[in-house]
Amino acid sequence: MITKKGSFVIEGLENVQINIGKVGAGEEQIAEGPTPRPEIISLRSWDHRILDRYNAVYTPTGDTCDMCTYGKCDLTGNKEGACGIDLEGQSSREALTTTIQGAACHSAHGRHLLNYLIKKYGADFKIDVGPSNLQAPITETVMGITPKTIGDFIPVLDYVEEQLTQLMATTNTGQEGASRDFESKSLHAGMLDLLGMEVSDIIQISCLGFPKSDENAPVIEIGMGILDPKKPVVVCVGHNIAAPAYILDNMDANNLFDKIEIAGLCCTAHDMTRYKRTAKIVGPMTKELKYIRSGIPDVLVTDEQCVRADILKEAQKLHIPVIATSEKITYGLPDRSKDNVDDIIEDLVSGKQAGVLLLDFEKIGELVPKLAMKMGPIRKAKGYTALPTEEEMKKLVSKCTQCLQCTKDCPESLPISDAMVAATTGDLTKFEELHDKCIGCGRCDYSCPVKIPILNVIEKASQRVIWEEKGKIRIGRGQIGDPEIREEGRNLVLGTTPGVIAFVGCSNYPNGTKDVYDMVEEMIQRSYIIITSGCATMDIGMHKDKDGKTLYERYPGRFVKGNLLNTGSCVSNAHIAATTIKVASIFAGRKTKGNWEEIADYVMNRVGAVGLSWGAYSQKAFAIGTGCNRLGIPVVVGPHGTKYRRAYIGKPYKKETWNVLDGRDGSVVNVEPAPEHMMITAETKAEVLPLLAKLCFRPSDNSLGRAIKLTHYIELSEKYLKKMPDDWHIYVRNEADLPVAKKEQLMKLLEERGWKIDWEKKKIMEGPLRKVDVSFQPTNVPRLCKEVKK
Amino acid sequence: MSAKTEKGVNPEVKVIDTTRQAVPFDTANIPGPKMARAVMPAVSGKMLAKAKRPLLIVGSEISDPEVLARVVSLGKAGIQIASVGDSYAYLADKGLDAHYANMHALASYLCDPQWPGLDGKGGYDLVVFFGITYYYASQAISALKNFSHIKVISIDKYYHPNADMSFGNLKKDIFLPALDEVIAQLPKK
Ligand code: SF4
Ligand code: SF4
Repeated sequence: MITKKGSFVIEGLENVQINIGKVGAGEEQIAEGPTPRPEIISLRSWDHRILDRYNAVYTPTGDTCDMCTYGKCDLTGNKEGACGIDLEGQSSREALTTTIQGAACHSAHGRHLLNYLIKKYGADFKIDVGPSNLQAPITETVMGITPKTIGDFIPVLDYVEEQLTQLMATTNTGQEGASRDFESKSLHAGMLDLLGMEVSDIIQISCLGFPKSDENAPVIEIGMGILDPKKPVVVCVGHNIAAPAYILDNMDANNLFDKIEIAGLCCTAHDMTRYKRTAKIVGPMTKELKYIRSGIPDVLVTDEQCVRADILKEAQKLHIPVIATSEKITYGLPDRSKDNVDDIIEDLVSGKQAGVLLLDFEKIGELVPKLAMKMGPIRKAKGYTALPTEEEMKKLVSKCTQCLQCTKDCPESLPISDAMVAATTGDLTKFEELHDKCIGCGRCDYSCPVKIPILNVIEKASQRVIWEEKGKIRIGRGQIGDPEIREEGRNLVLGTTPGVIAFVGCSNYPNGTKDVYDMVEEMIQRSYIIITSGCATMDIGMHKDKDGKTLYERYPGRFVKGNLLNTGSCVSNAHIAATTIKVASIFAGRKTKGNWEEIADYVMNRVGAVGLSWGAYSQKAFAIGTGCNRLGIPVVVGPHGTKYRRAYIGKPYKKETWNVLDGRDGSVVNVEPAPEHMMITAETKAEVLPLLAKLCFRPSDNSLGRAIKLTHYIELSEKYLKKMPDDWHIYVRNEADLPVAKKEQLMKLLEERGWKIDWEKKKIMEGPLRKVDVSFQPTNVPRLCKEVKK
Repeated sequence: MSAKTEKGVNPEVKVIDTTRQAVPFDTANIPGPKMARAVMPAVSGKMLAKAKRPLLIVGSEISDPEVLARVVSLGKAGIQIASVGDSYAYLADKGLDAHYANMHALASYLCDPQWPGLDGKGGYDLVVFFGITYYYASQAISALKNFSHIKVISIDKYYHPNADMSFGNLKKDIFLPALDEVIAQLPKK
């Protein structure tokens, strides 16, 4: 971007002028906190407070470093490499790099959308995300401004990009060396990620008519079995709505929705349905290879993020033309953006070109439906599919030597050979079970020494269940509106709504999608507010109860206890984090603008929100989690999350790390470990459920709230781990904190632990760590204490 | 009784050799120059018997009754158990010195010399484990390998390169007798 005196000019948009003075003028634009536009060091003391309590824990996947030509260096046992960095430092540097990658992805997505939307709608196009005054909570908190138009986001993304460059520079050899400061930088990158996501989603919601905080967004179909394969089928893959929107508009204008099936894979699908209800969703990224190999798509349109690197190769085998629409994924294809649409179609239909790079949206909109109408009949007549016939499948399964090499290479260690053996007797049920657990990565195909195309066999054997794969999800609603926060904020802070649990992220689950459905069902029935986004949203919608109803049909979508909300695509995660800022601002009246530390401090001590990314695989998911951590929101990841190599784990036995200040007088109060961890993993569904309940405790809970949270923590532990939690008593401050139904029994247990109980008064006389004090103002920031201020 | 002696005395007795197939179970799980030494069950058992304060970690893969029986035997022999994942559900009624722990947190605590242990009686000098999701265990113990001085032995059916010593990749017909041989080295309670 070129900056002229007093104005911005975006390259390629030279006739669009945005005045620099615009943002920052007027009372609304005056920062209220000390850190508007924080530099990489501005929030370091806050980060260090987080890290002192939640120590970075490293689980390296490799013990060497080969980042520069001094190496490879052996860092085993935390040795130093040639540049002086030890394994701890190197692991933290990797964590920072991972976070930057994720943040860059989301903010580059935002930049692409912003340039495009400004060109189309003008920089003065008003932001409108629904019935809220606080329309851009993360932007306000980080930047200290209240954006009003989409053009106001230009300096926001400028800031993100500049900061990410600064951060990336610190990962070069010979720069930062201390893991603690790499982590502070990683937290900074995570915050930038939240900001980039917020910009992306706000501008697309505002300009493209997406649902605006709509609790009643319609419920639509999803699944591999929902498309009519007899019609021409267009499948869009990735995350960026810009190109698919033109295709949908063209289909709309030409009444093609009953002639062509159009659907999305991964987050593009979410945004397509937010844009036009007639679009459909096949599923998350894990279905990409599976769906392509089915042969059903007649045209594949790729944009950016979570697009498999082998899509062109796979599509080519089945004569599916690929239209690449993003500069970020070009697959070596010829750029035909300046060519005539009919000429391009001819080359694709004839097979002269397997795909094209097309960056002109108008042309994409025109070309794709036309191409589908031509390719559909040709491809269907030929019956292209990668799946074997029944006869071929029988032969293939009998070739298996049970060497287990596939299981060793499978990310989920799936028992493939058992299914092969069962299939030789005609029993396909084991393959059907595998189909749900298989993440469709195709790694097994490469590993089989007798060259069985394993994924194709799994898919062929599972045709019965695939055709029945028809679920439902509620279309992404966008942000949580201010009125909803006003209604529910109090319950959350006092703890009478036991917590907000965000089920987010990708589909690299340790044990299939059903676990996620089960977890949501368990927690929603316990009145937690469940918010979802991205691929997790889709997987939750693929399972039904005994009446054939999905969770989205059973539970409404308002931000109140016992509701299930889908915010939307990956970038809609920003709204989930932003909800906690809204609680701090709207319910508690905290100032937001440029006031990250105070807001995060409030969230960490008072808002019982926790994120679960059970199948997180991408750098983006790690960046989101890290950003949430800087905002004081704990995050749990499935077992694969240990391969992110860094977590933030609290040590309850280190009592001094659980000191907080009482904002009223600055006195030090030793509190219970709440929340106990910032980023941690769990091995199984049964383990994670009580952990989620525990991570909803906050020092500010009132007694009623604490009793409710304790009830769930104890019940979930008893139900899934067959035991009372070892640490339940730590969360008891007085008898009113005890779940009413179990009060007597629990008091007896406390007495056995040496607590003094007055049985006549039914009161705890001695034992708890601290007393309940309804006016307690827990804070980790000394400057926020009244006494200290004086 | 070692396999060698057994072999010498009675050629009919099946040799439980746990050092074969000592390659990472997940093909690409090659951490670096230091990888676990393949170990025979008797050696692991003796080390366990000699340790001042050993800890057995078991995870979500112990539901198989035959595997569970071996966990119980080890527990009955007086080894304290860290029950990670959801494994406590299988051990709850067995009368063992078993404590629920989160594997990731446990790995972090084991690296901290100030950690008072699962029972408040101090840290551990030897960790032995099996029955945990392969990649999850592998990652967690990479913390111990690189950031602690605790000896780690995998007696799982998978070769774990991040341990100090490990069984190779074993089929069940070797794995269970191997566990029995480990148990046989422990003093009877
Ligand atoms: S495609 Fe499925 S079965 Fe094959 S390695 Fe990947 S997850 Fe495992
Ligand atoms: S790698 Fe091939 S031969 Fe070996 S078990 Fe798997 S499917 Fe069978």
